[in-house]
Amino acid sequence: MEQVTVIGAGSWGSTLADVLGNNGHDVLMWARSPERCEEITEQHTNARYLPGFELSPNISATTDLERACAHSKWILLVVPSHGLRQCAREMGDFVTGEHSIVHATKGIEQGSFRRMSQVLREETCVRKIGVLSGPNLAKEIMRRQPAGTLVASKYREVLDQSQALLHSHSFRVYAGDDVVGAEVGGAFKNIVAVAAGVVDELGMGDNTRALLLTRGLNEMAHVGAAMGANVLTFGGLAGIGDLMATCASPLSRNHQVGERLARGQSLEQIRDEMHMVAEGVKTTRSTFDFAAHKGLDLPIVRAVNAVIYEQRPVPEVIAELMALPASQELVELSW
Amino acid sequence: MRREDQERALVEVTSRVVDSFVQAATDREGYLEGVLSDTLYHEGLRLEKADPSDPATKAYKAVYSQARRELGSASSSRQKAMLTEITRQFAEEVVGNFDERVYRVATRALPHGLSALLKGASVRRVANMEILFRRGLQEYVSVEGEVDHVKALLNRGTLLVTPTHSSNLDSPVLGYAIYLMGIPPLTYGAGLNLFTNPVLSFFMSNLGAYKVDRRKKAALYKAVLKQYSTVALELGYHSLFFPGGTRSRSGEVERTLKKGLLGTAVRAYTNNLQSARPKPDIFVVPCTINYKLVLEAETLIKDHLAEVGKARFIITDDEFSKPRRILNFMSNLFSLDARIVVRFGKPMDVFGNPVDLEGRSLDPRGRVVDRRGYVSRGGVPVRDDQRDQQYTTELAGEIARSYGRDNVVMSTNLLGFALNNLIERANPGMDPYRLLRTGGTADSFPMSEVHSEVERVLAAVRDLPEPPALEAIIQRGDVPDIVNDALKHFAIYHTLDAAERRGDRVFHHDRNLLRFYGNRLRGYDLGRTLAAGS
Repeated sequence: MEQVTVIGAGSWGSTLADVLGNNGHDVLMWARSPERCEEITEQHTNARYLPGFELSPNISATTDLERACAHSKWILLVVPSHGLRQCAREMGDFVTGEHSIVHATKGIEQGSFRRMSQVLREETCVRKIGVLSGPNLAKEIMRRQPAGTLVASKYREVLDQSQALLHSHSFRVYAGDDVVGAEVGGAFKNIVAVAAGVVDELGMGDNTRALLLTRGLNEMAHVGAAMGANVLTFGGLAGIGDLMATCASPLSRNHQVGERLARGQSLEQIRDEMHMVAEGVKTTRSTFDFAAHKGLDLPIVRAVNAVIYEQRPVPEVIAELMALPASQELVELSW
Repeated sequence: MRREDQERALVEVTSRVVDSFVQAATDREGYLEGVLSDTLYHEGLRLEKADPSDPATKAYKAVYSQARRELGSASSSRQKAMLTEITRQFAEEVVGNFDERVYRVATRALPHGLSALLKGASVRRVANMEILFRRGLQEYVSVEGEVDHVKALLNRGTLLVTPTHSSNLDSPVLGYAIYLMGIPPLTYGAGLNLFTNPVLSFFMSNLGAYKVDRRKKAALYKAVLKQYSTVALELGYHSLFFPGGTRSRSGEVERTLKKGLLGTAVRAYTNNLQSARPKPDIFVVPCTINYKLVLEAETLIKDHLAEVGKARFIITDDEFSKPRRILNFMSNLFSLDARIVVRFGKPMDVFGNPVDLEGRSLDPRGRVVDRRGYVSRGGVPVRDDQRDQQYTTELAGEIARSYGRDNVVMSTNLLGFALNNLIERANPGMDPYRLLRTGGTADSFPMSEVHSEVERVLAAVRDLPEPPALEAIIQRGDVPDIVNDALKHFAIYHTLDAAERRGDRVFHHDRNLLRFYGNRLRGYDLGRTLAAGS
């Protein structure tokens, strides 16, 4: 069995480490907090992020980044999007051209609108970069319910390695070469998930949610195309797949943010009460700015942005969306 | 190539090419027969048009007719033998073109090479050509950019120079620039059409050029060429590729590059590591060759704009095939003290990482990288074609970025771009081809309008996050000076002046040429900046 490294010990990082550990690999996790490392290594739990679950005994953890990078040439990077650049920069001291890094971070860098693989490329010497993205709610995967995901990389070697390491009888790993599509899908669905939370909290029905998801997918495809993605990717696990799971599940943090927004809470209140990061909040702002820069018309993004950052009342924003003219479904982008 | 390397290259090229085809044939019924049939088919078509009295033609015909008789009934080992024979014949032709004596003479004769040859070719001496010969070419070719960096790497590894390509004069000009820098001649494959020009054919082989016969369409022949360039790099011969593949028809700086030949860089590097060569490193040196006037501008842009022309790969009847035209071009260009500027970009490794003066690769944060890791697994160098193609794609991207930074914008480019803008703005919505042909509603613009447009474009260029380099007169920034300089140049060489000043107005006569020269500034996303400003 192989030695593998997982950087980041949040709920998703710990879950993927558990998948790898259950596949029999020698997993070394890296986290900043010595307490968490000790808990993972000694008690095989991560009570803060995965309360009630036991982690594979094949996992140990360290705060020593150099050791973590030396443990394996295949590294799974699972840190929040806002922390990825700093973390990658630190890893840059220890990684080599032989390393592969697969990240499982769903988000876009704010301000620069850089995708995570671009940030990795800018901060390290590593070229063999991949992304893991799909409909993967951590808790379901901890329960070993059947699930699937996409690993995308331009390097077949990375795909082969990742499939061999991660694939199991409860976790199917598909391969693809559209890194941009996988990253855009994973980031963008969070915006729609926030909107789905709003719609669900308001007690709207399945028609409404289907309308939201389908038009959300359309906007996702437009953003993706503008960034160089293969539009077909959005019909796969990292696109529609992730969108369906995230939007349907009350477990999702983004969905919970939407629910709270619908109840009239402000962004500050939500931040104070939820100590987990909801990527969708930041992605909304980044995508909104990107769309303005590229001249893309994205009504759902605009609406979510208005609710989060302009404190516009939810009913008013929904009424505006519904008042937009509807034209060709698949040609033009309009609601 | 030195004599002792020639035999070695011949053996290596032949065996590697044959092995790769034999390996590809594993589990593929009839594959080798297919390769042989393809070769015989394409070569048959070529030989129909070839001179039957040429000894090479006779030799090829003999081999092919034998092969054609046997092919249907040949065993797989006999197929392999036939493949080897044909491959060796191709390889001998490519390798054998290089003459060591010529190479040595050329090294010494280069300073006077081009001018002397031009002189020799001229039927009558043109008065101002005399001045050119006396002053020597270095007055006319400027070498700038990362010259010291390139020289520092010379003895640390093998250089692969990858220039932009806009004229058939590029290779002699670059050969001369390399000579000025004290770098030995570069090995490179040049199309046969370059050898048919009486002025430069001799000079071409002196540059280390070997003949590439583009009439040979067989995949096998292309494999031989690619393998030869790999082997030359491995044997330490500094080499030259034009990664754009062909002269830029539109006048734009190349943004998409051909990855086939470029891919030999990673391959050669990996092979060097695997065979533990003492100096395995290959340094890629992008450079731009910049002309204020381009010899073949009229033909190139016409070819670019013509729908049918887009498929033409070899132009045999352009300005370059007319020695007098070349003389005329050079004497006119030099009479105005116009310099051809060769600008070297930052050297990089075969993965596109920048390298420092000691040849160490650097990551984007300037940390030293052990580049062997890119092609290693468990510390051992391994070949992986899919991986290497991807590395080559990244290398191509970095070379293209370097072109963008090291493109030296000339007055003619700036004025061409500005006049195009004015013409388009004066004729909103008009079909672009019609606009090029007719010039639209206004045949001229007031000088003041031209000045302010040039100023706007220049400001936008300077504002770019990664701006191109500027020629001296543009750096000084005196707009009327820049415009005059460009107009002066437009007046001296082309059949029709691209633009001309009459009184207080600038008339546009040849929009194609204005487009060609202006295109050098395309691809920088200037349109958005300019639109935002207007």
